[in-house]
Amino acid sequence: MTQLFRNPLPEEAGTPAPLLPVPLSFERNWLSDLESRLDKGGPWGDWRLSRLAVEGEKSGLVTSFDELQCMKHLSGLSPLPHQLDTAHKVLFQMSGRAILADEVGLGKTIEAGLVLKEYLVRGLVSRVLILVPASLVLQWVRELNTKFGISAVAQKKSYSWSNDIVVASMDTAKRDPHKEMLLNNEYDMLIIDEAHKLKNKKSTNYQFVQQLRKKYCLLLTATPVQNDLGELFNLITLLKPGQLGNQGDFATNFVVDKRQPKNEVQLRGELSKVMIRNRRGEGPVTFTKRKVRNIPLTLSPEEKVLYDGVTAFVKDQYQEAGGNLSSMLSLVTLQREVCSSRDAVFITLVNLIKKLPADSPKRERMMELLQAIRTVKTNTKAEKTMELIREMNEKVIVFTEYRATQEYLLQYFRDHGLQCVTYSGGMNRGKKDWMMDLFRGRAQVMIATEAGGEGINLQFCHHMINFDLPWNPMRVEQRIGRVHRLGQENDVVIYNLSTEGTIEEHILHLLHEKINMFEMVIGGLDVILERFEKKESLEKSLYKIMLEARSDEELRSGLDHIGDSLSELTHGMRDEQEAEA
Amino acid sequence: MTLTAQEIRKHVMDYLEATECSIIEASPLHVTVKLSPRADRMLTDRPYYWGFVERTGVDPETLSFTFVFEPEKYDNLAAAAQAAPPSRPLRPGNPASAAGLPAGAGAAGMEAAADPGGTTAGGPPTAPPGVSADPQDSILARFFGVVPALPRIGPGMIRREDIIYGSKRLRQIWAAARDEGKCLQLFEDPGIRQRMTLFSAAYEPWLAVCYKVEMSCDLKREELHFIGVSLTTGRIIPDFEAKLASRELTPRLPENIHIQPYELTVADGADRLEGYLTSKLALMDYDWAEEARERLRLELGIVDIYYEELLKEQDEEKRLAIEEQYNRRRKETAWQYEPQIAVSAVTYGLFHLRST
Repeated sequence: MTQLFRNPLPEEAGTPAPLLPVPLSFERNWLSDLESRLDKGGPWGDWRLSRLAVEGEKSGLVTSFDELQCMKHLSGLSPLPHQLDTAHKVLFQMSGRAILADEVGLGKTIEAGLVLKEYLVRGLVSRVLILVPASLVLQWVRELNTKFGISAVAQKKSYSWSNDIVVASMDTAKRDPHKEMLLNNEYDMLIIDEAHKLKNKKSTNYQFVQQLRKKYCLLLTATPVQNDLGELFNLITLLKPGQLGNQGDFATNFVVDKRQPKNEVQLRGELSKVMIRNRRGEGPVTFTKRKVRNIPLTLSPEEKVLYDGVTAFVKDQYQEAGGNLSSMLSLVTLQREVCSSRDAVFITLVNLIKKLPADSPKRERMMELLQAIRTVKTNTKAEKTMELIREMNEKVIVFTEYRATQEYLLQYFRDHGLQCVTYSGGMNRGKKDWMMDLFRGRAQVMIATEAGGEGINLQFCHHMINFDLPWNPMRVEQRIGRVHRLGQENDVVIYNLSTEGTIEEHILHLLHEKINMFEMVIGGLDVILERFEKKESLEKSLYKIMLEARSDEELRSGLDHIGDSLSELTHGMRDEQEAEA
Repeated sequence: MTLTAQEIRKHVMDYLEATECSIIEASPLHVTVKLSPRADRMLTDRPYYWGFVERTGVDPETLSFTFVFEPEKYDNLAAAAQAAPPSRPLRPGNPASAAGLPAGAGAAGMEAAADPGGTTAGGPPTAPPGVSADPQDSILARFFGVVPALPRIGPGMIRREDIIYGSKRLRQIWAAARDEGKCLQLFEDPGIRQRMTLFSAAYEPWLAVCYKVEMSCDLKREELHFIGVSLTTGRIIPDFEAKLASRELTPRLPENIHIQPYELTVADGADRLEGYLTSKLALMDYDWAEEARERLRLELGIVDIYYEELLKEQDEEKRLAIEEQYNRRRKETAWQYEPQIAVSAVTYGLFHLRST
């Protein structure tokens, strides 16, 4: 190459680079890469690919400080307005540290996902730690991956921690050796589900989370411990120490006694800076109706004999044991099972007999009961259920408390030509998923023993039959929550089977008439129960009444008493909510 | 800014063509492609397979995909075509062989075929495994999260993937493009006439970098600056992309040209580019940083008040623990809000352009 002419290079402009009001850093690895390739004579990149890379960068560029970017990266997900609002608030008003306290079923996970996605898209977050109860780990991983396209992994081995986005159980994370590793790391974002478990300042959970180094932080809870102001203070301190002043300020400014706030307006103002709580029945989120049909049934004579036999047996045992409740649990179970199916009773009885010494006088009595079981040839409830299912001719989920009943129903339905699947707590995740898929696909009936824990979401089905009822209202609510949730398009029909003249009838009366729980869409059951159960769990109170009542009269009055205090609390709740609104 | 399905299609097609993949079938709605080994390495995430190929020297079997850009339209078309009696024979197992095979059923069928009894073994014999209509929602996908492109190799095994803005595959393609295209050395194509002329053409060497500027505090904004500097004259061109737009570029040194000597080293050029960018950034509006600092001040104030009382703790040991907590919280807060600007290079290289 000949050199024809030569331009002298002008001296570099004398002005030094101006100082910026913000620290500026140049990444310069590219220069050494370029120089080394010049030395080696390549390899050189493809011009078309290079342009493509620039185009890609351009399309993903975050051009504005304050505009949600994540929606254009998400397809197949259409968040509800309140969820988008929440994400917006967390990002632009709360700077990424917030308590998400929506009531159950409003999609806190979606909100957290949106916030996380937005930060990822903006490149403000790359290392993320998500701590949840063990049973929810896989569900979180799945939701983040499928709904948000976020490559989260479940923590399984210790090397899993090195992934960018890890979902782990709180219990694992806080233990050594994991704890040590996590505390040495820093996380751009920390998300904690079921954060109400962090209310106690002294607990290891609390101290662990406090020590974690985090930039942004989301705490998710459906029950932001509104009952105890001290606990609320602790939760907020974890997120933003000082937001409510120091402990002393807080006490003088906001607290009358533990349960009673003062300066409520001001407190709510302060809370709204760190906490978002969307409620059911508020705003544009509408749930479909719940329709309740109680189906009273009359036991066949044989079933009645069995019921009475078991009831008498249980009561006698209780008297003998001198009213000691803790040893009576299996007997209580027996009493409840007899309302469900003879199979359930049978198994429990046999197990009890096995445990008895060979010469126990109880033995004979129990053998008699077994004989009584043998005489029962039909199951009134199962027949009625069959009839109901035939009538509705749609997908339906049947809930029972007992595995034996579940087995029996499976057999019974199958013999009558129904396509059905089972679902129970003991199944592993894969099997559960498979069962759900089958139910979504070809099976008409799902017989489930478990409703709680990790979400089975069955919005595509809007009939449910309570073959028997749990005595814990939260569990009833969980059952209903499987089908009656966001995304359900039809009114949900709930059938409650109850046999006349049995304990079941009373329980149903209590749940339906007193708490009105089947139709309660407003939520707040958790709060009612929390208040009621300050002394003793509702379930236990019920057991006691049942075992101690000498007559039907006494039973009724005892249950009525509980019912009254529950309905009082319910009304109280409603008034509060109205006052808030 | 988001991309339309057609723009996305263009991006994907550009990538596939640049990496020499063999396109089996293409329509405005989809493309069915057998990846080239080069693209397969970048996209399918199977390092073990490629390690195996390298060590044993077998002929690599690359994966094939049907990328769908407008899933809804594509499915509708497929459904419509299926409703009509098939007028031509369908190649089995290849859903893209004709838009005639319903994509859903095709994909699901493959899913089932490829799953050798895995699902049938675990469950009760109530019913055969239900086939979910949505391939994204298959059992595997729900159990494992994302199902990676499994090396289920076999003739006719074509996975369907919907590519829309925000899908992982698109991000992966851009990342792969960047990986292979970030560092350039290019020459302007002088055209055929130059070969005939007597005098060799003078070419000016340019160092050009596409900078990504990230302004971040607790929020963030980004800008791209594609700037070039002449290594002969030191002249800076702010919109270098525009300068390149009208020119044909080739990786090979053309005949009958000469390159003007460098007056600046590449490192000097980089200094000049950075100096220029800095002065340009200095003219920006810095209200965002002021606001972020204000937020930071407020937050730190809150933290200080909270710990002030606590730090009066008498017990030495406890006080140290609180102090540590206090410092940690202050650091976290600064980390969260402190405004800063980081500049990195997306692509960079030497461009030899005809002097004017």
